[in-house]
Amino acid sequence: MNKLYKFNSSLYFGVFFVFVLIFLSLFGPMMAPFSLTELLETQYTNGKVLAPPLEPFENASYPLGTDKWGYDLLTMVLHGIRYTVFIALAVTCIKMLFGTVFGLYIGTWKKTPSWVITFENAWSYVPLFLILYFFMKPISFNSSLETRALVFYFIILASVISIPSIVSSVRLKTNELHKSVYIEAANVLGAGRNRLIWKHIFPQLKETILVMFILEIVYVITIMGQLALMNIFAGGTIVRFDPLIYLSTTKELSGLVGQARGNIYGNTHILVVPLIILLFTTISFSLLANGLKNRFQSNYSKSPWIRTGQIQILKPIRKQYSNKRNIWKPSGERLALMGLLLIFISASVYVVVTKDNDVGVKNYSKAKYDIQFEMDKNGVFTTEANILVKNKSDQKWDELIFYFISNVFKRGHQFQSVKGYSEIKMGEIKVNGEKAKYSLEKDTLKINLSEAMKDKKKFNVKIDYEFTVPEEGVRFSKEKENYYLAQWYPMLATYQKGKWNKEEYSDGIETYHTDFSDFEIAYKLPKGYSFISSAEKDPQLKNNEGKVKINKVRDFFVAIIKDMEVHEALANDGVKIRIFTKNDHHKDLKETMNHAKDALSFYQENIGKYPHKQLDIILDNGLFMEYSGVITINPYIEDTYFYRNAIVHEIAHQYFYGVVANDQYNQAWVDEGITEFATSMYFYAGKNQTERHAFSIPYRRMERIASSEPPLGRQYSNVPLNKMKNTGFIYGQPAVELLNLMKDKYRVQGEDVKEVSMQFLSDYYHHFQYKEVDTKEFIRFTKVYFNVPSGYFNRWLDTSFE
Amino acid sequence: MLRTIQQIVIIFLLILSLAALPMIIEVNSVEKSLDWNFEKLPEVFGDFISEISKGSLGTYQLGTQRRAIEEDIGDNFFTSLKIMLLGVNAAVVISLFFGIFISRFHLTKVFNFILNILSAIPDFIIIIMAMILAVKIYKMTGIRIMSLRPDAGALNLWFPTILVSIAPTLYLFKLVTVKNYQTSSEDYIKTAVAKGMSLNYINFQHVYKNVEPFIKAELVKVISLAIGNLFIIEYIMNVSGITKFIFQSNEIQPIAIGLFSMLLISGFVYISVRLVFYLFKRGFIYE
Repeated sequence: MNKLYKFNSSLYFGVFFVFVLIFLSLFGPMMAPFSLTELLETQYTNGKVLAPPLEPFENASYPLGTDKWGYDLLTMVLHGIRYTVFIALAVTCIKMLFGTVFGLYIGTWKKTPSWVITFENAWSYVPLFLILYFFMKPISFNSSLETRALVFYFIILASVISIPSIVSSVRLKTNELHKSVYIEAANVLGAGRNRLIWKHIFPQLKETILVMFILEIVYVITIMGQLALMNIFAGGTIVRFDPLIYLSTTKELSGLVGQARGNIYGNTHILVVPLIILLFTTISFSLLANGLKNRFQSNYSKSPWIRTGQIQILKPIRKQYSNKRNIWKPSGERLALMGLLLIFISASVYVVVTKDNDVGVKNYSKAKYDIQFEMDKNGVFTTEANILVKNKSDQKWDELIFYFISNVFKRGHQFQSVKGYSEIKMGEIKVNGEKAKYSLEKDTLKINLSEAMKDKKKFNVKIDYEFTVPEEGVRFSKEKENYYLAQWYPMLATYQKGKWNKEEYSDGIETYHTDFSDFEIAYKLPKGYSFISSAEKDPQLKNNEGKVKINKVRDFFVAIIKDMEVHEALANDGVKIRIFTKNDHHKDLKETMNHAKDALSFYQENIGKYPHKQLDIILDNGLFMEYSGVITINPYIEDTYFYRNAIVHEIAHQYFYGVVANDQYNQAWVDEGITEFATSMYFYAGKNQTERHAFSIPYRRMERIASSEPPLGRQYSNVPLNKMKNTGFIYGQPAVELLNLMKDKYRVQGEDVKEVSMQFLSDYYHHFQYKEVDTKEFIRFTKVYFNVPSGYFNRWLDTSFE
Repeated sequence: MLRTIQQIVIIFLLILSLAALPMIIEVNSVEKSLDWNFEKLPEVFGDFISEISKGSLGTYQLGTQRRAIEEDIGDNFFTSLKIMLLGVNAAVVISLFFGIFISRFHLTKVFNFILNILSAIPDFIIIIMAMILAVKIYKMTGIRIMSLRPDAGALNLWFPTILVSIAPTLYLFKLVTVKNYQTSSEDYIKTAVAKGMSLNYINFQHVYKNVEPFIKAELVKVISLAIGNLFIIEYIMNVSGITKFIFQSNEIQPIAIGLFSMLLISGFVYISVRLVFYLFKRGFIYE
C-alpha cells in the first residue's frame, strides 16, 4: 500500500490520457459512427418513438445521445476534438518557442529596460481573452473567410498575445540564474552569451519550461472556452436567425460547449457531454503537468523544518551515470512507454483498416472457388468444384445453400425463351471429406450438414457433376458452336440478417445474389475451341488446356468459342478491350469498338478506375448481359439506338454490379437504376446530347407505364422481383428520379448539374466499392450528400424499413 | 515615476486600440481577406479624447435609444466593484488562511485536496458546472441559488461573487502552498524551530512575512484573472455590471469607458488588498 501511495499516478495517468487524446484527435473522424451532416429522423419503431434529443446511453447507435436537431453528439465530439487539441498545441508551441528565446536573452541583459517591464505590467492588466474577443468579433460571425483562415488567425493571435507573459516568467527565472556563481565562473572562463544561455542556463530551466508548456496547453483551452461562452468559436461561428442560434463550424469541443450553453435548463446532456470531454482533455494535460512537476520537485526540493501539511512522498529518481543502459532490454517506465506506443500503433492500424466496415450491407457467407472442368466433343462438361465456404456469422448453420441455375433448364422446363434443355448429372458431394446429403430442387442446391459439422466455421465442399448447355438458352446458352457458361457452377448464396438469402430463379431480370469471391478455374477443351472468361488474364486463343484465376469478383463467366474474329483496342490505364464477333451481322465493328472505348474511357475518367485489366465484349445471339469483366451484346437486333445504348449500359454495369454489389432480387433497382442513370449521363454529359435525347430510354419506359392498358398505377422501385409490375419501375424510374434529384439539389455540391451528377456517381462508387448497397444505404449516403431528409425519396422509394 | 507614467500611457493606448479593434478590422468578402483600416485610428482616438475633454463620457446605443453613459454607469460600476472587492479579498484571505496558518491540520488536508482537484479544472468549466448545479438544486428543492434576471437584487450578486472568487483563490492557494513549502525548508526556520518557538509564531513572523512579497508580486495577475472571470460571469448570468457596456456595443465610446472603469475597479481592488495586508501586519506582526 505504501508503495502504491508513492506511485506517481498523476504522471502515468497523464501520459496515458494524453496518448488517448492524441489518438482521438488523429483518428476521431474515422471512428465517428455518422457523418456530421447526418441526423436522426423521428422514427416510430416497435411502438416506441425515437426522436431527438436522445439522452445518452438510451440508444445503442447514439451512445452519447443527440442534440436538439438530431445530430449525434459522439460524432461531433470525435470530429471536433482534433481542432481543440491541434489549436492548443499549435498556440503553445509558437508562444513557448518565442517566449523562451526572448525571455532567455532579455534575462541575461545587465539591466532590463524599463519599457519591457512596463509593457509586461500593462499587458497583464487586460485579460487576454478580451483582446482575442475584440479581434475575432468582427470576423467570426458568418464569416466569408475560410475556416482554415480563421483557425490560422486565431492561432497566430492567441500565441502573440500570450508571448509577453511567457517572456516575463522566463526572463525572471533566467535573471535569477544569471546571478549565480557558476555563471560568473563560466563567464570568467570565456563563455560567450550564447554558450551561457544554451549550455548553462537553459539546461537548468528545461524542466520548468516543460511543465509550463503543458500548463499553457490547458490555458489555451481555457481561453478558447471563455471565448466560446461569448459565442466566438475557433474556426468561425455560424449564426442562424429566428430563433437566434450560434453554431460552431469546426465542432471544436469548447465550441460545442458554447453552442449548447442555453441547455443548462433542460436537456442538460447536450451541454454536459462536450463539457465532460473538454474536462477530460484539460485534466489529462493537467495531470501530466502535475506528474512531471511532482517528479522534478521530488528530485530537487529540500525538506521543510516545520509541518506544512504537505509531505513529499515520491522517491527522487536520479540519473545513473555509472551503469551503462541496456537499450535492448528496457524495463520499468521505458517498457511501459514502449507498450503504450505499441498499443497506440496497433489501435491506429485497427482503426484505419476497419474504418469502412460499417459501410454497406453485411454478408456472412464467404466462398472461394476452385473448379476444374473438362468438355468433351458432345458438349458434356465434367466438373469438379471445390468450394471453400466460410461461416462469418455467429450462428450455426444447418445447411449450405447454393444457386444451381443450370438445373432449372432441364428437359421439360417452362421457359419459352430457352429453346433447348440442359442435362445435369450429379455425382457425389463431400463436405470436409465426408459424404453429405443434399437436395437439388429447381435452382436450389441444399447441402445438409451433419451434427458434427454444424459447429464448424469452414467447409470444404466438393461437388462432382456433369452438365450440358441448352441450345439458345438465356445467358447459360449454346449458340451454334459457341458455349456461354453463365452461372454454370454452384454459387454460394448470401447469408444475411441471420438467414440464407436465396430466391427462386425466374425468367427475365437476374435473380441471383452472390458476394465477392476468389476463383481458380482449370479447364480442358476439345481442339479448336478458345477459352474466354472473367479471369484477369485469359490464355492465348485456341489454347485448349489451362488454368486461370481472379480475385474479388461477383461471378465467373466462361465463353467457349470457335472461329470468331477478335478485335482489340486500348482504353485508359492500359485496359484492353477485346471484341469477339462473327461476321454475319451488319453492325459496324469499328464504330462499335470506338463507341465501347469511348464509353469505358468516359467512366474511367469520371467515375473511377475500371476494376479489371481487360474488358471482353462478345457479340452473339442472346441477351445483352453483364458479367465480371465480360459483356455479351446481341448484334442481330435492328434497333441501332438501343444497341449503342446497351453497350454503354453493360459497361456501366462493370462499376454498378461488378464493384458496387446489391441484392439483385430484392434490391434490383440499385444496380439497374443507377446503371441506367450512368448510361444516360454518358450521353448527356459525355456526348452533350439534350436531356430529352440522352434520357430517352428511361423516359420512354415511364411513358409506356403511364399509358399502359390496363393502367399500372405507381410502384416503388425497391420491390422484390416477384412483386414488380413492370421493369420500368426498376430501370427507368430510378434514372428519371435521380436526374430530378440532381436538377433539384446540385447547388448543394457544385455549379453544374452534369458535373455534380458525375461527381455523385464517382463518390457513390468510391464509397461503396466492394460493398453491398441496399435502399437504406443508398438513402443514407444520398441524403447526406444532398442534404435532404429521407422523406425526399418517398416518391419513388419505400423508405419504411423494418 | 517615469515608469508609472510610461505604464499609464501604454495602458491607455492599449485600451483605446482594443476598443477600436471592432472598427478597424473588416472582412473583405470579395477577396476573402482581412482589411485593416488603420487610417480610422487617429480619428477614433481624437473623437474619444475630445468627448472626454468636454467633461462628458459620451453616449451609447441601448436598443433604439441613445443614452448618456454617465447617467447609467453608476449602478453598473458599483455592482461590479462590489463583486470584485468581495471576491478578490475573500480569495486572498482564504488562500493565506488555509495555505499557511492552518495548513498543518488534518482537516485542512481535505480542503486542500478539494482545492487541488478544482484547480485542475479550467475556470469557465467550473462556472458552467456551478450553474448547472444551481439549476438542478432549484429543480429538486425549490431553493433559488441564483437568478438570471438582471433586476433580482442580492440574489443576483452572491453567486457571481463566489464564482469570481474561485479562480483567484485556486491560483493564490497554489502559489501560497508552494511558497510555504519552500520557505519552510529555509535555514532561518530551522533556527526558529531550534529556539523553541511555537508553530503559530513561526508561521506569522517568519513564513508569512516571507511569502507576502510573492503574493504582492502576483496580485496584478490575480486581479486580472478575477476580471477575466467577471466578464464571463456577468455576461452569462445577466448581471448588470460594467461589462454590459463592453459587450453590448460596437462603438468605441462605451467599450473604452467600460474598459477604463474596469481598470479603475482593478485599482480599487488592488488598494483594498494592500490595505488588508497593511492592517494585518499592523495587527499581528511585529515590524
